[in-house]
Amino acid sequence: MGVLSLDHVTKRFGKVVAVDDLSFDVAEGEVFGFLGGNGAGKTTSLRMVLDIIRPTSGRIEVLGRPPGRENAPAIGFLPEERGLYRQMTAIDTITYFGRLKGMTASDARKEGEALLDRFGLAANSGTTVDKLSKGMAQKVQLATAIVNRPRLLILDEPFSGLDPVNQGLLEEEIRRVSVAGATVVFSTHVMQHAERLCQKLLLLARGRKKFEGTLEQAREELPARLSVVARSSPMSLKGVESAEPRGSADDGWQEWDVRLAPGVRPADLLEHCTATGVPLRRFEERQASLHDVFVELVGRAEAQQ
Amino acid sequence: MTNILLVAAREFRQITAMRSFWFTLLILPLALAIGPLSAKFLNDDDTDRVMIVDHSGAGEAHSIEQRLSLDYERDLLSELSRHVQRYHLERADPAALWAQHDRWYSPADVASFRAAGGLDAALAKIKRVAPPDIPDFDPPERDFDLVATPAALVSVPEGQLDSALKPYLSPASKDRKPIDEVLLVPADFASTGAARLWARGQPDSTFVATLQDVLTRDLRTGFLKAHGLSPDAAEQASTIAPTLAISVPPPGGGARESMLVRSILPLAAAYLLMMSLILSGSWMLQGTVEERSNKLLETVLACVSPNELMYGKLLGTVAVGLSMVVAWVACGAIAGYATHGAIADMIRPAIAPLTSPVTIAALIYLFIVGYVAISVIFLAIGSMSDSMREAQGYLMPVMFLILIPITLLMQAIVGGSQSVAIEVITWVPIWTPFAVLARLGIGIPTWEVLATGLLLAIFTIVELILLGRVFRSSLLAQGQRPNLREVVARMRAAG
Repeated sequence: MGVLSLDHVTKRFGKVVAVDDLSFDVAEGEVFGFLGGNGAGKTTSLRMVLDIIRPTSGRIEVLGRPPGRENAPAIGFLPEERGLYRQMTAIDTITYFGRLKGMTASDARKEGEALLDRFGLAANSGTTVDKLSKGMAQKVQLATAIVNRPRLLILDEPFSGLDPVNQGLLEEEIRRVSVAGATVVFSTHVMQHAERLCQKLLLLARGRKKFEGTLEQAREELPARLSVVARSSPMSLKGVESAEPRGSADDGWQEWDVRLAPGVRPADLLEHCTATGVPLRRFEERQASLHDVFVELVGRAEAQQ
Repeated sequence: MTNILLVAAREFRQITAMRSFWFTLLILPLALAIGPLSAKFLNDDDTDRVMIVDHSGAGEAHSIEQRLSLDYERDLLSELSRHVQRYHLERADPAALWAQHDRWYSPADVASFRAAGGLDAALAKIKRVAPPDIPDFDPPERDFDLVATPAALVSVPEGQLDSALKPYLSPASKDRKPIDEVLLVPADFASTGAARLWARGQPDSTFVATLQDVLTRDLRTGFLKAHGLSPDAAEQASTIAPTLAISVPPPGGGARESMLVRSILPLAAAYLLMMSLILSGSWMLQGTVEERSNKLLETVLACVSPNELMYGKLLGTVAVGLSMVVAWVACGAIAGYATHGAIADMIRPAIAPLTSPVTIAALIYLFIVGYVAISVIFLAIGSMSDSMREAQGYLMPVMFLILIPITLLMQAIVGGSQSVAIEVITWVPIWTPFAVLARLGIGIPTWEVLATGLLLAIFTIVELILLGRVFRSSLLAQGQRPNLREVVARMRAAG
């Protein structure tokens, strides 16, 4: 069952097309990664999902309904640019946002206290935000997002600005809400996080979808790469697109960085080598990282932004 | 609606948790309380201690003492007469001098008052008829207290008085009260007409005038006697004076005084509206700027719509403003009660124009709608600014636009003017609440109140639509501070 669905959504700001004909679906319980460089349209898309801004055209469905504040009780949201009311205490802040999401004051406070306890901030519950360290404030902000035990948790660049300890805590929380059955959609341009957490990915570049699928499917988009040690250049072999020597030859054996033609599987080449008697000392498949996929699909310049 | 109330409650709590809120909440009552007290201290209206060294042998000290007593008792009689007139107590003794209010009391009147038992006898009569809620008569303080001249000082030769008087004018011990003024009437005063006055500072002009008057009269009497006039004729010639009849409106009466008194509450309402609006509006603006600069808005807007946020903020600010006004009015009521109804009695004519339900409704309506009309401007400014410094850039011209005409308006009303400018100000919606409130005391036609009220309502609705658009489109806007053109573009943008 789809929790979130975008159907040919476009958003224009004057002459600038921020999101261009974007369509995708997120299934219930999925951890969905929304990947793209700066200015790719990730935040704009998430803002449209939350009804903070409206699309120029296209249709959005969130939890079976159009975007709107009536969805707030079932949604948790952590924006990229974070801030809290400096003069409010940690527990009052969490309670306030819980109440804005339709919780009763006592439920919101109870859940807030449980979260603060889990994040190691029980002693700071009554401390005003301006007296908390940055790391503590980040935890409070996360608590405001999940206080309502959301069915759909939307995180916009959640790891940016977090210290390593809080990055670990956030990953743990994402896994926790996912195990509890919630759907998580998060945008990021840090591929390692997406690689570790996401079951499904969407790559966005200049507002347009470049890829949607699983990590495996993403890797299949790239030509296979191999590390081969052979006596002669594999370039002449069937299905090899390129072969670059690496280092110097050792007693006639040379290591080669082999790139296969699109659609050619490493197993096909191995079979061909065996059948034709090509001597090999090493035949190692090098799995593409998500970064490689991203660079390939989105473009090197954008990936470096 | 729940979200609006939640936002309003948070806004209210945030503002009322600020120290500046409590400081400004208390500063008005404190200023009103400290003002009269400090005036009391600064006016230095303590009784002056005076001493007379009389070497003339002609009883000048006695004449001066009699004159100071006469002046004080005249003041006392006059104040008592005003008190009786203010509380309509003439029936206590209609024939008594203090029940007659249209005269300048002569020495004979004062003597007659004294002969009739003075203040104590008068108060006893008044007490029999005075209702219990009327405050007691507070007799005026004496201006001068004549201190008996020590015998040792009387015998000091006149040439040595400078040093002999030093311990009296500037005593070494703080426990001893200094003498403020010392008068020497020399032995040859009758022939030279020269007397000498020592003072601790600038001598009191009233005292000097009294001395001049008494000593001149005695010199003239002596002169006339020396030139063959009989002592009685000479005395009469020196004391002859016109009988002065005086017409003064009753306390709180009279065209100017009455108009001022009737305008006290309306002007106070306009002033309180202005004060609370500027203060609470500034705090709301500060809160909105904080939400923008702290990157809070996206989190909030994921839960509440921009309209809910705007109305919640407006509601919270109106609540803050009204709470301040209620607190100030309560302080006024407590002060009124503490002064045994004296203030309430004084402003009774001021309450008179506010007794009709229509006027009260108009007062409440203007207060609340006026609040929303001005607060929404502060809100729009806050939504466009990333810092208070940026907000000041928009705020200054707006404040001038609101405050300068209102200040002029209030001055005009206090001055009793009914100029065209007041009419114009009344019909400009942004100034309507202040102008109509301020004019309720001096009189404003009902049709004008209704028409300007309607115009204000229309203006506020249009303002909410246009500035609401500015608020919505500015919330997440980034980049340069929008100029007027950009602001107008945001107003025209569809919600």
